Amino acid sequence: MKVSMTVNGKTYTRDVEPRMLLVHFLRDELGMTGTNIGCDTSQCGACTIHMNGMAVKSCTTLAVQADGATITTIEGLANGSELHPMQKAFWENHGLQCGYCTPGMIMAATKLVENNPNMTEAEIRHGLEGNICRCTGYENIVRSVKAAAAQMGGGD
Amino acid sequence: MIPSPISSHSLPRVDALGKVTGQACYPGDITPNNLLHGKVLFSGQPHARMISMDLSAALALPGVVAIFTAKDVPNNEYGLIMPDQPVMVGLGSSKPHSDVSLWEGDHVAVIVAETELAAAQARDKIEIEWEQLPIVTDVREAMKDEIILHPWHGSNILHKYQIRKGDMAAGWAAADVVVEGSYTLPYQEHAYLQPEAGLGYIDEEGRVTIEIGGQWTYEDQEQVAHALGLPADQIRIIYPAIGGAFGGREDMSLQIVLGLAALRLQERGIKRPLRIIWSREESIVGHHKRHRAVVHTKWGATKEGMITAVSSELILDSGSYAYTSTKVLGNAHLMVTGPYVIPNAHLDSYAVTTNNVPGGAFRGFGGPQGAFAAENQMNKLAEKLGIDPVELRLKNVLHDGSILTVQSPMPPGVSIDQVIERCAAEIGWGDSNQLSVNGHQFSSIQSLIANPQSLCHGRGIACSFKNVGFSFGAPERCEATIALHGQREIERVVLYHGAAEVGQGSHTVLKQMAAAAVGVDISQVELVMSDTATSGDSGSVSASRMTWMAGNSIRGAAEKALAAWASEERPAKGYVRFTPPPTTGYAEETGECMPNFAYGYVAEAVELTVDVETGHIHVDKVVCANDVGKAINPMLIQGQIEGAVVQAHGYSLMENLWVENGRIRNPFFSQYLIPGIKDIPDHVESVIMEIPDPIGPWGARGMAEMPFMPLAPAIIAALHDATGVWFDEIPLTPARVVAKLREHGIGG
Ligand code: FES
Ligand code: FES
Repeated sequence: MKVSMTVNGKTYTRDVEPRMLLVHFLRDELGMTGTNIGCDTSQCGACTIHMNGMAVKSCTTLAVQADGATITTIEGLANGSELHPMQKAFWENHGLQCGYCTPGMIMAATKLVENNPNMTEAEIRHGLEGNICRCTGYENIVRSVKAAAAQMGGGD
Repeated sequence: MIPSPISSHSLPRVDALGKVTGQACYPGDITPNNLLHGKVLFSGQPHARMISMDLSAALALPGVVAIFTAKDVPNNEYGLIMPDQPVMVGLGSSKPHSDVSLWEGDHVAVIVAETELAAAQARDKIEIEWEQLPIVTDVREAMKDEIILHPWHGSNILHKYQIRKGDMAAGWAAADVVVEGSYTLPYQEHAYLQPEAGLGYIDEEGRVTIEIGGQWTYEDQEQVAHALGLPADQIRIIYPAIGGAFGGREDMSLQIVLGLAALRLQERGIKRPLRIIWSREESIVGHHKRHRAVVHTKWGATKEGMITAVSSELILDSGSYAYTSTKVLGNAHLMVTGPYVIPNAHLDSYAVTTNNVPGGAFRGFGGPQGAFAAENQMNKLAEKLGIDPVELRLKNVLHDGSILTVQSPMPPGVSIDQVIERCAAEIGWGDSNQLSVNGHQFSSIQSLIANPQSLCHGRGIACSFKNVGFSFGAPERCEATIALHGQREIERVVLYHGAAEVGQGSHTVLKQMAAAAVGVDISQVELVMSDTATSGDSGSVSASRMTWMAGNSIRGAAEKALAAWASEERPAKGYVRFTPPPTTGYAEETGECMPNFAYGYVAEAVELTVDVETGHIHVDKVVCANDVGKAINPMLIQGQIEGAVVQAHGYSLMENLWVENGRIRNPFFSQYLIPGIKDIPDHVESVIMEIPDPIGPWGARGMAEMPFMPLAPAIIAALHDATGVWFDEIPLTPARVVAKLREHGIGG
């Protein structure tokens, strides 16, 4: 089947099998390997991307469902060489160790903060419930999201 | 030479840019041109003999390039401490007994195809006839040796250690109280977020090359070389970004099969790279676990609280193959008596072969199983004696020069007393009005809102020591090379080192240490890391050893490079193979030895709330006091503490691997639950202490395993404080907690 979607500002058209997952489309068809795969059962959130303005697990979406969609992946989050405040915050606040969960965490957290820059800590935790990290114990991830929220709210 | 000082600095990670932008390259991200794809077929057989294997239907599928089996492996055996495992189980092997599968995760074929889908379809078309053999899955059954799983070994007891110290009869006679306990510890799955993946190819110099996540490039190289029957320098191991390890990447996963396939493909004139990526299910089925264990132990003490004697029997289920079991056993054996002076000891510890998933390295490496028994015993003794658990510990803890159960003195720098005191002070020990539950929300099971009347609060404490570096005579070393570039002034420093970056931050800390050792700014240091073609043998990232060992090797290399610089060598190079003070293995009869050259010390206190109706436990607060010697990068240390506490929290409360008849029944994140962000303690307080290790680099100790160790027994103590009931088994799932509380007439 033919699918066409805009990923990080560029439109791609490909012929794919109907069963192809969006995450495989991004990784294998477009070579964007920043989006990671950590599980078989939609638990871990390592594959989280933005699709039509929502944070979505790309392993739970078929490529054909994304036909016509506008997608942002971790590779498209920075503005050229200027990192997104969330990327900077994860870097500065040690919000990562192995980094495998990080693209998904950052994509999920970015949407959370965009939707509500004044989140409480409990709301941040609730919002990241679908993303697993085995390394950090989450504390520095929460610190990072708080720091980014302060930046992002300030920019409004 | 006076070593230049190092300042504590939370330098942001040097690998963070790639990790926040998606540019970091994990093994499964490497996609060279002309890539072939592979799949591994597992036997799925906990114990069976292969009768026949038919590849014809699989080979006939379009896109299938080759299938390799046991008969293709030049030297069909491997293993980190003994070569007891076939690379592939099957017919026509170069080694005896390798037609028998002892584990459902034994490999039987590697399928190479043009696409992943074709490889998967071919894997499903391979037909194998098995003759079922009786399985042994219970350690005590296995110890009877009615069915022997490794005929060459002659017994299912893979290894036994014993310690005989003092006079047990006198020890028991001197005891006013005796506490006896039986403890059951579960498996734990590493669940690093990046499932195993790797790339195999022949490099431009003709070397069999494997890019993969591991913990020790030179060990991987040696194992691949052994199995392929090639000299080590014909094998090249490269570590790209690695998505977590925790001990789970210490043994081979895809290294050998990737190397084998690359080699055999080349012989057929196919010079194309091959990539294999495991699913989460394959990862959980296909690699070892933290050992499940049973411990029966008896402790005696005087009414003043001095320990007089300890006896114990500890049994680890080491599963189908040895992996690192004998080493893990050694640690558990030493730590089963805790960081205490034990005048009389009679200890027996066994690693036992079964048809279960192999046990192996996992953060703490046998320490957590030992500590669980020791610390529960101490807390029970405190209750029985009516002595405060902190005070009881302080009466018995090890000091510099204290004689261990293995009858050698502790190396200088023992700080366990100070660590316990600091932990107790930080949590406000002794003042039970200070419980920090107020203000925190008890997160009820969503479908069952907690009744405030059924919530009970408690507090508990435990402590541990843990070796830094390889123990018991295992050859220990760490190589470093430093090159100083420039003419008049040092402009650029290049460090060549093997230390794997598995997420712990080794590259960041190595850079800090190299800058300090040479006396330049961090921005002048470049790293060349983790490629056997360019960097030396660092030993593994395990045993909380890398900061300690690498730091010492870097200081030595810097000293030599600076001397070369002074004698006008350009670039000035210094190489060192650092070796620490020697250790020795357990003596057979008494267990006497010099087990370790350095230790780290930790204490943890826990406050929790339990809903006695539902059995649901919520941890309100954890205080972790960890003596790190010197905090070179405090934020990285804090990250290790928080990560280890949450991993131990999962071990204590949630993680429940279901293994039935030798098969893992829940190999998915949907069924094997690890802590998510809403499952964790409300608050983890990291208390970083800096009491120098006299022989650590800049006084640093290892630290990354320590915070894992005392959490489970501290939780048990807090639960006892809350309910009056002792729990001797983890994980403390709601069902287990409820059942035990009901036995004691609580709740319901
Ligand atoms: S890969 Fe785990 S949720 Fe998508
Ligand atoms: S940083 Fe490793 S899984 Fe989150």
